Amino acid sequence: MSPRYSPPEESTLGGLVRPAGARSSVRRGSPTSTHASALGSGFLGIGIAIVAALQSMLGIALFLLRADDYPSLLPALAAWLLLMVTFLGLTITISATGERLPDWLYGLFLSSLGAVVWLDFVAIAPLGDIGRYATSSVSAGFVLLVVVTLRSRWEVLLASCLLGTAFIVAILLTTPLTPVTIPAQIVTVALAVGPGITGVLLVSGFERMLKRELDRVLIQSTVTAPRLAVGMLASEELAQLDLAAEELLEAVASGDAALPLPPRLASRASGLATDLRLHLIEGRRETWLVHAVTESEHLGRRVTVTDPATLAGLLDDVQRDALLAALWLLATDPTGVSPTRAIAVELGPLDPSRGSGVAEQLIVPITMRVTGLRRNRVDPGVWEALDQVGRYSDSTTGGGVLIELDCLVENPVDAPRPS
Amino acid sequence: MELIEKERRRLLQSAARAFGLSGVLIAGICLSLPGVVDPDILPSVIIVLAGQAGALVMVGRSGHIAWVVLTVVLGCGALALAQLPWGLASSLALPTALAPLGAAGIGAVGFVLSDNSGRWLLWGAGTLASCLLVASAGPAGAAFSTPAIGTLAGWVITLIIGLWVTVGVQRALRRIEAIGRAHHLERQASETEAQRRQGARLLHDTVLATLTLLAHSGVGVNEEALREQAGEDARLLRQLRLGSTPMPRFSGVYSLEPVAETPLGTTLESVKQRFLRMGLTVRWHGTGQVLLPSDVLDAFLLALAECLENVRRHAGVDEADVTITQSDEALRAVVTDAGVGFDPTDVDPERLGFTESVVARLRDVGGSARVFSTPGAGTTVVLEVPR
Repeated sequence: MSPRYSPPEESTLGGLVRPAGARSSVRRGSPTSTHASALGSGFLGIGIAIVAALQSMLGIALFLLRADDYPSLLPALAAWLLLMVTFLGLTITISATGERLPDWLYGLFLSSLGAVVWLDFVAIAPLGDIGRYATSSVSAGFVLLVVVTLRSRWEVLLASCLLGTAFIVAILLTTPLTPVTIPAQIVTVALAVGPGITGVLLVSGFERMLKRELDRVLIQSTVTAPRLAVGMLASEELAQLDLAAEELLEAVASGDAALPLPPRLASRASGLATDLRLHLIEGRRETWLVHAVTESEHLGRRVTVTDPATLAGLLDDVQRDALLAALWLLATDPTGVSPTRAIAVELGPLDPSRGSGVAEQLIVPITMRVTGLRRNRVDPGVWEALDQVGRYSDSTTGGGVLIELDCLVENPVDAPRPS
Repeated sequence: MELIEKERRRLLQSAARAFGLSGVLIAGICLSLPGVVDPDILPSVIIVLAGQAGALVMVGRSGHIAWVVLTVVLGCGALALAQLPWGLASSLALPTALAPLGAAGIGAVGFVLSDNSGRWLLWGAGTLASCLLVASAGPAGAAFSTPAIGTLAGWVITLIIGLWVTVGVQRALRRIEAIGRAHHLERQASETEAQRRQGARLLHDTVLATLTLLAHSGVGVNEEALREQAGEDARLLRQLRLGSTPMPRFSGVYSLEPVAETPLGTTLESVKQRFLRMGLTVRWHGTGQVLLPSDVLDAFLLALAECLENVRRHAGVDEADVTITQSDEALRAVVTDAGVGFDPTDVDPERLGFTESVVARLRDVGGSARVFSTPGAGTTVVLEVPR
């Protein structure tokens, strides 16, 4: 009988199932994959539109006040009309099509803003003072803000820069620069460029903040996990190994695979046995803390956990929550000045000579070594949180902070044995 | 909740700092142009502006309201100082040069003033003061000037943004909480599923034993028996996949009900049958029915099977003795062979096989394993689990 069973390519297994003992390479769907507007940037966009509308009304009022100065009103009026049509059209399109802006629409939007700026400049060029008379072209910079939640940052920044350049060129060409006129020119250029830059910074800060919060909420679910838990992916990986084993055994049973087994299948059986054995014991060895750190994008980059005796699992819900909060704050680096920030958490070893005085309780020593952080820069929330974990003492070491915690936990020997 | 609240404040504070500093910078440049401010007063204006910039830096760093007040006071001071001496015709450019200071340099604090009514009052006072001061720089008697309106717009816009970010965070938080709840359930489900699969230990033990045989190409085992065993194992794995928790009780006859307490006698039979098939003759000593919790039983049988597997593969003999005894506290199995033996001190302690599969699982249920062996004099393993 010719062997009909052929195992899937080895890479399939290697690709889908993490190598024995290795940390999961596939993080839970990373928060960066979440569409931004799903987290409330869309709402932010409405606020921005309101700001743009306010500014435009102001601009129109200013324009009407000075309407008498214009040598010909037509281009300026056309510029305002075009700007209003663009603004309204874009707002309606965005709310109708679900907060998406395709490339062609963005192109159309930019070119009509360009036309607005050009028409406005044509109208005010004879007046010889761009900074003082520019109205709809300044508002164009604010209307540009409407797309800040929909397009990538650099696209908006680029558009802002182009607008600024257009202003500078127009000013140099038409306006005599004297101490009397210069302030108005500077202010106007800043008004044209400022909204784009501010908007991009604010929106990206907002999104970063919400993504981080999402990350935190997701790993928060580890707080109620049992002492030793499997990670989110462990059961899936085990299921895949079971399936692969089932197929191989089925092939042997049905005679699809010749006996004695060819070397290729034999080595596959051996590999499956090893992986299966490791997965059956591995998942049970990891505590909630390891899972939390591994799964979190924010903590995973900076925190390492050493917990050979899986003592983290002994902490109760309140202690876990507080420890996680403290780690979270320690890993947060708002200024981004310290790329070397690293936190090494070490649990244990248990010291039998240090009784807690109460027979049913154990003291779990926890050491946190934070590098790249000065003691006086530690967020006060860290100490508040650590108070809930246990008694702590802190000291400053070269270039970092050392925090030692004594954590009072229930002795697992006295607890009912989990079945 | 507190964390995101803190981050929201931090975001608005740093926005206020960046926005305000750029306003101060622009105003500083414009005021330094010749003829805009009285040259005698200019140095003091610049010094006050520098102080205001410092206050803005602190607004970005700390949430304390005092820094906001200081920013407004110094900013308004600079607005007033730049207009000295009062009443004299000032440069036409002065109001325009002061507008960025009023609108952005001071108005930036509007970002952080939307939190409570006290702060709203401060916002109102700051708006009024800076608008009036910018207006007074204009042509005498004109309370209404473009720079003053611009200043008002700056204060209003920063307040709107602050409010909007606050409300936006609250809305997004509700959504994030819902996602978190769903994720929590998913984690629990994943945990349950993994426990179900890991809990099917007896099943995995027979699967692993068969896979190990196949890894050696099945050489030395009766072909029919191996195919039969493989078929049984595949069938059990399929049942596991389809949602039940199969428990092998006898070879060939399997019970699908999960059992909390399992009599030792019947499950021991499956181990006996398996090694019989593989060509290892095991002489069993000791009798009796012992009831054990299923996890203890699993660990015990796994350890026993693993020991016998080691005899079969490494001892170089085809027979072994298993003696099972019980006391009130413990159940004990002694596995003896007369094979080649080994020096237990030579075995790498990190070696996975024995340590992990036998010792670790027995320890999980409160049991223990001890190995006695000398090269050439056979091996004895004592396994013990609590009853």
